[in-house]
Amino acid sequence: MATEKEEKKVYVNKKGLRLDGRKIDETRPIKITAGVLKNAKGSCYLEWGQNKVLVSVQGPREALPKHTANPLKALLKFTYRMAAFSVPDRKNPKPGRRDIEISKVCGEALEKSVFLEKYPNSQIEVWAQILDSNAGSRAAALTAASVALADAGIPMKDLVTSVAVGRADGKIIVDLNKDEEDAPDAVDMPIALMSNSKEIVLLQMDGLFSKKEFDEAFEVAVKSIEGIKKLQIKALKEKYESKEFEQASKLSEKALPKQPSNLLEKDLPKQKVDQKTGQKKEEKKAEVQ
Amino acid sequence: MKKIVVPGEIVTEQRKRTGEHVYLQNGKIYSDVIGITDTESMNASVVALKGFYIPKENDIVIGLIAQELFSGFLVDIGSLYLSFLSKDSVREPLKRGSIVSVKVIKVNELNEADVGDTRVFYGGEIFSICSIKIPRVIGKNASMLDALKRGTNCNIIIGRNGRIWAKGGDTELLFRALKKIEKEAHMPNLTNKIGEFLAKERK
Amino acid sequence: MQKDMLLDFKAEKVVTALKEGKRLDARKVDEYRELKIEKDIYQNAEGSAKVTLGNTEVIAGVKFLLGTPYPDMPNEGTISTGMELIPLASPYFESGPPSTASIEISRVIDRGIRESKAVDFEKLCVKQGEFVFIGFIDMYAINHDGNLFDAGSIAALAALTEAKVPKVEDEKIVKGEYSGKLKLKRKPLLSTFSKIGNTMILDSTLLEETAAQARFSVATTEDNFVSAFQKGLSGSIKKDDVDNAIDVAFKTAKEIRKKL
Repeated sequence: MATEKEEKKVYVNKKGLRLDGRKIDETRPIKITAGVLKNAKGSCYLEWGQNKVLVSVQGPREALPKHTANPLKALLKFTYRMAAFSVPDRKNPKPGRRDIEISKVCGEALEKSVFLEKYPNSQIEVWAQILDSNAGSRAAALTAASVALADAGIPMKDLVTSVAVGRADGKIIVDLNKDEEDAPDAVDMPIALMSNSKEIVLLQMDGLFSKKEFDEAFEVAVKSIEGIKKLQIKALKEKYESKEFEQASKLSEKALPKQPSNLLEKDLPKQKVDQKTGQKKEEKKAEVQ
Repeated sequence: MKKIVVPGEIVTEQRKRTGEHVYLQNGKIYSDVIGITDTESMNASVVALKGFYIPKENDIVIGLIAQELFSGFLVDIGSLYLSFLSKDSVREPLKRGSIVSVKVIKVNELNEADVGDTRVFYGGEIFSICSIKIPRVIGKNASMLDALKRGTNCNIIIGRNGRIWAKGGDTELLFRALKKIEKEAHMPNLTNKIGEFLAKERK
Repeated sequence: MQKDMLLDFKAEKVVTALKEGKRLDARKVDEYRELKIEKDIYQNAEGSAKVTLGNTEVIAGVKFLLGTPYPDMPNEGTISTGMELIPLASPYFESGPPSTASIEISRVIDRGIRESKAVDFEKLCVKQGEFVFIGFIDMYAINHDGNLFDAGSIAALAALTEAKVPKVEDEKIVKGEYSGKLKLKRKPLLSTFSKIGNTMILDSTLLEETAAQARFSVATTEDNFVSAFQKGLSGSIKKDDVDNAIDVAFKTAKEIRKKL
């Protein structure tokens, strides 16, 4: 509602609550699903507050154009794009400088985590399409992209997890939304870590920060990232974990009773003699691997 | 005990021999993919749940001829690159689109393969599953492959690259059985389950 | 990009089956795959929709911007339609400027909507000669299993039926406030056929498209008008094919409109 007076917004009130009711160390709700695209090697759909991002991984496949190929390792090409309707004022589909910069830093963040030397001369293409946004879309894209790469079965050192921390009303806050980015003393610091080693693979900052504030912001980010990583791991595992798997995995193979390998012996007709006898010989050769 | 691990998750902190899909750091062994590890095993290794085919010497794979060159053919084996098949090793007429099974003869450091030992197939169907699940399609002592053949009456040729050629018999039922194996490859007792599935679904 | 040899191999089966009038997924030649429509899914859009047609998925969003009208049509707004074929949908879609395929799909879907006068352009006029609304319909292919034309057409229409027109004050759009829903005068839908051998099949899968010699799209309205034609690919079609397509399109589009 448009108000007549310019009311001074209170970004963090006396109870430590923000404009949308969150505490200063609370992220917006995050939902992650892996393996959602049928035509991609790996994929991930992630919702983070109002942000919605869909990521696909294609490759590794031949690096093209050929002269860009690196004979020592795979190239990782990351493309960050926003759908025209994903922002309040329609965005021109042609990539702008912001898209290109974000693509570059996110790609570089992921490169550190992937064992690129395993696929020399090839390229791995990551495409992050933002479908809806409200600040923090690059953290969402990067967090989803790491899940998509793991979903593709591409070997990596660790997952990459990202979050934006910042300041409003003098307090260090986690996961700024769009309103908070407009605070008069706002600082926005997107950061991404490989959380096992706390290696920083993405770090950007917009605003005026003291060194002490940065130290505090970094600690807050590390803690937040721990929680987000748990969601990434859950998303990857949930397709495979089931009660049946849990029960079976507790018994070691030796403990299982010996089952006959073919229950159908008594039901089946005698195995037909292959009419194309030429094929039968080849069959034997192929199946003994 | 078997458990599912993701990249960056610890497989073990004990000193063990390392196998596939793990790496060592600061005395701990970590997984580099999403997969299954057996904590009781003497080796620390992870069997990947997802992945793609990288050619290895002596693998038999199913391919399609993509291009004819002067000295040979380029074969699509569903890996990162096309493979080279020398004309010397080809006895039957081949053309673009021919279905072949070939053996991987040599692989270089760029994962490019030379193949040979060609056999041509005519007609039939080609099914693709994740190459990582192929050992499950064969089974211990080819028990799963046996069950599939008996349950569908198909001729079946299995390629290490995840492609399966089949002809005759109920190929539609085979397709569904293969998809089931692919989905449940990490579950125990799969051969029996597939046997029951085939018996139930046979017309 | 390396062509998928397996697709060509499997496409032969499509041709063989059709010789007996059968499709690989047991559909009739004039039958659509299972259709799912979700509306109002992206909050920043004024209207949005996600369409799943078999395994093909397309999303669409509508955004209104203020622009200046053409001098010869001072009291008319307009629409602008586009579909992007992004790598999410297929390993053969590359990043870069729109391909000829994406431009063709965009223009055909646009024609179906524009020529049917589904959107009353005069209602998009804010201030004659100075400000009009341009309705941008932006679509993205999310999974390609054939017939992005019809999936896109349904998604565009679904997004339009949900679209809210922004409120304008002092010649500027007021964020978060709307003057009402966009009322459509007609609900045009595209129906696309592949010609394989002598048969025209509706709503092709990717495999069926691979086997097709020609493609034909026709946009139809609920009052039995045709608002766009497009023959595609390098094969040819006969007049009978067009007549048959129009009949099938009238019938099947009616069923789809019920779901909107």
